[in-house]
Amino acid sequence: MTVTRRALLAGGAVAGVGAAAAAGLAAAGSGRSEGSAPAPVPVSFTDIGTGRVAFHGPRQAGVTTEPPAHAAFLSFTLAKGTDRQALGRLMRLLTDDAARLTQGEPALGDTEAELALHPARLTVTFGFGPGLYRAAGLASPVTDLPPFAIDRLEDRWSGGDLLLQICADDALTVTHAQRMLIKDARPFGAVRWVQRGFRRSAGVHAAGFTQRNVLGQLDGTANPRDAAMDTAVWNPDGSTTLVVRRIRAEIETWDLLSVTDKENAVGRRMTSGAPLSGRDEFDEPDFAQLDDTGLPVMPDFSHVTRARMSDPRLKILRRPYNYDEAPDAQGRPDSGLVFASYQADIDRQFLPIQRRLAEKDLLNEWTTPIGSAVFAVPPGCSAGGWIGERLLA
Amino acid sequence: MTGVPRSLLALAALLFVLVPGVPAWAHNALAEASPAKNATLKKAPSEVRLRFLQKLDPTYTTITVSNAAKEQIATSAPAVDEATGVVTLAAPLTNGVYTVAYQVVSTDGHTVKGSYQFTVDDPAPALEPGPAVEKPDASAAAPSASVTAETGPSRAAAASSTTTTIDIIPIIIAGVVVLLAVAAVFLFLRRRKA
Repeated sequence: MTVTRRALLAGGAVAGVGAAAAAGLAAAGSGRSEGSAPAPVPVSFTDIGTGRVAFHGPRQAGVTTEPPAHAAFLSFTLAKGTDRQALGRLMRLLTDDAARLTQGEPALGDTEAELALHPARLTVTFGFGPGLYRAAGLASPVTDLPPFAIDRLEDRWSGGDLLLQICADDALTVTHAQRMLIKDARPFGAVRWVQRGFRRSAGVHAAGFTQRNVLGQLDGTANPRDAAMDTAVWNPDGSTTLVVRRIRAEIETWDLLSVTDKENAVGRRMTSGAPLSGRDEFDEPDFAQLDDTGLPVMPDFSHVTRARMSDPRLKILRRPYNYDEAPDAQGRPDSGLVFASYQADIDRQFLPIQRRLAEKDLLNEWTTPIGSAVFAVPPGCSAGGWIGERLLA
Repeated sequence: MTGVPRSLLALAALLFVLVPGVPAWAHNALAEASPAKNATLKKAPSEVRLRFLQKLDPTYTTITVSNAAKEQIATSAPAVDEATGVVTLAAPLTNGVYTVAYQVVSTDGHTVKGSYQFTVDDPAPALEPGPAVEKPDASAAAPSASVTAETGPSRAAAASSTTTTIDIIPIIIAGVVVLLAVAAVFLFLRRRKA
C-alpha cells in the first residue's frame, strides 16, 4: 500500500513538483524520514488553524482585516442598574478573555482549554449600542436608523446595547469563543440575539477575492480599498461605527428570473461581477452609457446604480456574511445576509445610500430587511488596557 | 354517443391544458404606442404615450426618445397611470427619425425592453430647421432642454431594422398555429384509426 502510494506520488511528480517538493521540505524540517511521512498536505493548510490577528492596537481588529469564513454576531441587553462602573468591569473581563483567545490561549478558567489552541485568525470586535451610553450616562454617538418603507423588522433580530462580532476561519473556534465570552457577560445582561454567518472557507479562493452571497452575486466589489478604506472607515481617534442588518433573501422568486433579469436588477454580470457597462469586475460603472436604442446600459433602478458613491469619503465597508437556517417543511429556504457595514459616520455615509436604495432599487423585490441594529465601535486598546477605557474608566 | 362530440371534448381539453401554458402572459408587453411604430407624422408630437398589457410600476419605468444621431431628447419623467406611461417632450421635435425606447418591469420582476422608430415630416415646419437656438415658445418648457441636432428636411423613410418591440400578436398567432397543428394531428390519427 505504501509502495503504491509512493509510486503514485512519483508518477504524479510531473504535475505536482511544487507540492512534492514542499512536502519533502516539510518532512525534512520536522526531522521525519520520507518513508514515514503522511500523505502530503499543502503547507498553507496548516497555517489556517494557527493564524493569529493581533488584538491590541489603536483600532479594533475584525473591521478592515480580511473577513474569515465564519462569524457570530452577539447582541446583549444590559441588566437594569448596570452602571458605568459595572460596564467597566464587564469590558475588562471581556477584553482580557478576547485578547487571550485571539492569540490561541485559553480564556481565564477555560473549561475546554484545548479548543482555544487553534485561533484560526480569530477576532473579537466590540460595539456599543445607544442603550449602553444611556446606562453609562453618556451621550451616544449613534442612534437607531429611521424606519424605511422596505423594512419588515423583527424585534428578535434588532437592537442591542452591546455587540460582539466574533470571526474566525473555523466554526468550532467561533463556537468556543462565543461560549467563553457569553459566560463573562451573563452577569451583566441577557443575550438579545445571535446571528451566525459564513463566507467561503479559507483556501477556496485567493486572498482578497470578492465573495458570492446566497443569491449568487459577487458582493463587496465596490468596497473602499487602501487609503480610501482609511478615510471611509476610521475616525482619527481609531473609532468607527457598525450597522448590522439581517436581510432575508427571497430565493424562491429570485430563482424564477432569467440571468438577464438578475443582471438588470443588480447592474452587474452574474458570472464576472463586471458592471453592465464594462468588462471586468473592477471597471468603474459608466452610468451615462446608452445602448443602440437610447436606454441607459446601467438601468437607473439597478442596485449598483442606486448604491454607487464615487466620493471615497462617502463609501461604506461592506463586510457581510451569509446565513442559511433550516428550510421550512415545504423546503423553502431561510437564507440571506447578515449585512455588516462599517463606516466612520452612519449619518453621513450609510444613511444616504440606504435612503436611495429604499426609494428605488429593483433588488428590493428579492431582499427584505428583517433586523437592524447600530453600534459605535470604540478605539482599540494597548496591552494591559481594555476596550472602552476612554469612555467608561 | 357519436365521435364528433368526443373529438370536440378532446379539443376543449387540449385548449384547457395548452392555453395557460403560453409563457408570455406572465410578462408585460407593449400593447399600443402613440406615435405609432413606423408612423410618419405631419405634425411633431408633444408627448410619447405607451400603453402596456399590465399595470406599470412608476419606480421601474424608463421611457427615452432619441434622434437619428442617438442623442437623447429632453423629456419629462414618465407619468404613469395604471398600464400607461407618458413622457412629455420638452421642446417640439424637428423633422427626422426618432427612436422611442422603453424599459419596464413586470410584476414578476422580469425586465421588458423594447424600442421602435417614428418619423416627423412636417411639410411646413413652424420652426426653421437648423440648430435651434432662439425658440420663442420653447423657453416656457423645461429650462435645460438638450436641443436636438437637425438632420435636414429629407423625406427619411421610417427605418425599423433594429426594433426589438415585443409584440403579442406573433405570440398569439404562434399559439393558434400550435393548437391548429395539434388538432390536425389529432383528427388525422382518429380518421386513420377509423
